[in-house]
Amino acid sequence: MKTQNQNKLIQIKMEIILNTIMPSPLASIQHGADSIWGNFIELKKGRHILLNASSGKGKSTFTTTIIGLRKDYSGSITFDGKNINTFTPTDWCSIRQTKISVIYQDLQLFPDLSVEENLLLKNRLTNECSEKEIREMLEKVEIENKWTQKCGLLSMGQQQRVAIVRGLLQPFEWLIMDEPFSHLDTENAKRAIEMINKRCKDLNAGFVLTTLGDSHGCQYDQELKL
Amino acid sequence: MLNKLLFRNQDKKQLVIAIIGAFMGITFLITSIHYIIKVNEFGKGSDILGPNTIIVQKKVTNASSLNLTKTDFSLNELSKMRKEPFITEIQPVISNNFDISFETNDPHVPYFRTDVFIQTVDQKFLDVKTDQWHWKKGDEFVPMIMPREFLVMLNTFMSASGIPQISDDLVKQVKFKFKLWNDSTVERVNVRIIGFTNEVSSILVPASFMKYGNDTFSDGTSQKITQIMISGKESEFGLVEDLLNKKGLESKNAQMMIGRLKSVVETLFIVVLGISIIAVLAAGLVLIQYLQLLMSRNEYEVRTLLRLGYSPAELIKKFFLYFVKIFGLVTLLGLSTFLILKYFLDEMFASGGLYIDTGMTLMSIVSILIAYLIFTVASYRTAKKEIFKQF
Repeated sequence: MKTQNQNKLIQIKMEIILNTIMPSPLASIQHGADSIWGNFIELKKGRHILLNASSGKGKSTFTTTIIGLRKDYSGSITFDGKNINTFTPTDWCSIRQTKISVIYQDLQLFPDLSVEENLLLKNRLTNECSEKEIREMLEKVEIENKWTQKCGLLSMGQQQRVAIVRGLLQPFEWLIMDEPFSHLDTENAKRAIEMINKRCKDLNAGFVLTTLGDSHGCQYDQELKL
Repeated sequence: MLNKLLFRNQDKKQLVIAIIGAFMGITFLITSIHYIIKVNEFGKGSDILGPNTIIVQKKVTNASSLNLTKTDFSLNELSKMRKEPFITEIQPVISNNFDISFETNDPHVPYFRTDVFIQTVDQKFLDVKTDQWHWKKGDEFVPMIMPREFLVMLNTFMSASGIPQISDDLVKQVKFKFKLWNDSTVERVNVRIIGFTNEVSSILVPASFMKYGNDTFSDGTSQKITQIMISGKESEFGLVEDLLNKKGLESKNAQMMIGRLKSVVETLFIVVLGISIIAVLAAGLVLIQYLQLLMSRNEYEVRTLLRLGYSPAELIKKFFLYFVKIFGLVTLLGLSTFLILKYFLDEMFASGGLYIDTGMTLMSIVSILIAYLIFTVASYRTAKKEIFKQF
């Protein structure tokens, strides 16, 4: 697995600024003074951020907006001073490969492909990890024996662990996690958090963890509200 | 792995139907274009007259024998015929208005002499090289084109005289002379045969020689136009034939038959070409539609791959190349089938008396390349549009 020193692409840390962002579907809802919606928020490089909110407040909207999938908002988002609206498809491709990794709430796995194929499809973009390293990661979250099994046949908790491992198979400066432990038991969540923390430390990267209130024992240095 | 993800769960039945349609379209397209060109070329170079050209004269009837009707053409008649849209060219055939005879002038060939009738036609009707077809006073010889019947007659004479018969090539080496005369003057000029014709029954000479003879040896009587040359448009020879019948004109049967045959075969292939173009377009559309269907079935996969960091260009390339390869295979199959078909069709034409050239035509290859190019561009644009929809 490549570390920060081995990967020149991540030498420059990426700072994200949300300047009075207001997604259209959430414009009619009253947001607090400490909400990221409608306020100036700076996601400082390397910070571990907890984004705590109840259901329907826009946690997934935050994830999809910051990764450039949604454009239905007012205000501006900048990465290192550049407005993300100016990014080309090639820019986004590069950002998604090397700057921001996302673990989606709906997992975004390919149910007809095996665990191996799902993970290698991601890994082949940057060849960040060897197959051995990938299998070690699966072992840590106790699904190494599912290597050849189709993802669609796994339980939600097992699928969630595959999605977590896949999120770590690339260099990144920010790891955005949208309720990644919602189907995990305490023990598996703990193992996953350990793995995430180690990977973020290795890459000197920050993360944003969205949650319904429970941090699952994850250590963070900033908490944001929605 | 990406291929497995994107091209699984296809409706193979629809793909196979589209492939068969495209294959048939491509095969018919190349076949029809090839044979339209070949049928057009048929007859070119085989004789000294250009393609689709015939010499016609008025039919000699009892009335014309009694001088009740004319057998010559007026300038007005020619001008009216020139206005017909299916006629590309009409020119009078000019004949000699002086006495002329043709004789051998070679020690290796027994003496032979006969009075002849010579004619000249406009250079543009002839398939002979310009540098061979000219004459001016003082030149070493007059080039002439001889009717093949004349050679047959000459050989009959040779055979009867106990002399070996001579071939086309050999007769071109034999020295001949023209004798031109009137009441006061006699002139002999050397002659060389440069070609033969099955289509004209008289000796053809360059226009400059005819003018010289008419100016120098004519008795001054005005010359009548009794024969004309007509060039008709490709595949409209039937209309030319109708006009000839209407005007009571006649031509050599062989010339008419070839023109008619070419028109029929060409029209047939034009119809096939039209159907082929429609078939290729329809099959192309079905394939493009299939591409759209495949991409819409893979919406989730494409969207997820883009979210994972796959570049739109890579995904466009995957879909585009897949279909370009399919169409390439169809094109190759179509080309191979055409080559097999061509072998049998050429045999069939030959057995029907249509000895067409068996070489490939550039246009038929170009046509499938154009079809391939159009499909490639259409596939690329469709793939690009569908991928960017998911971005």
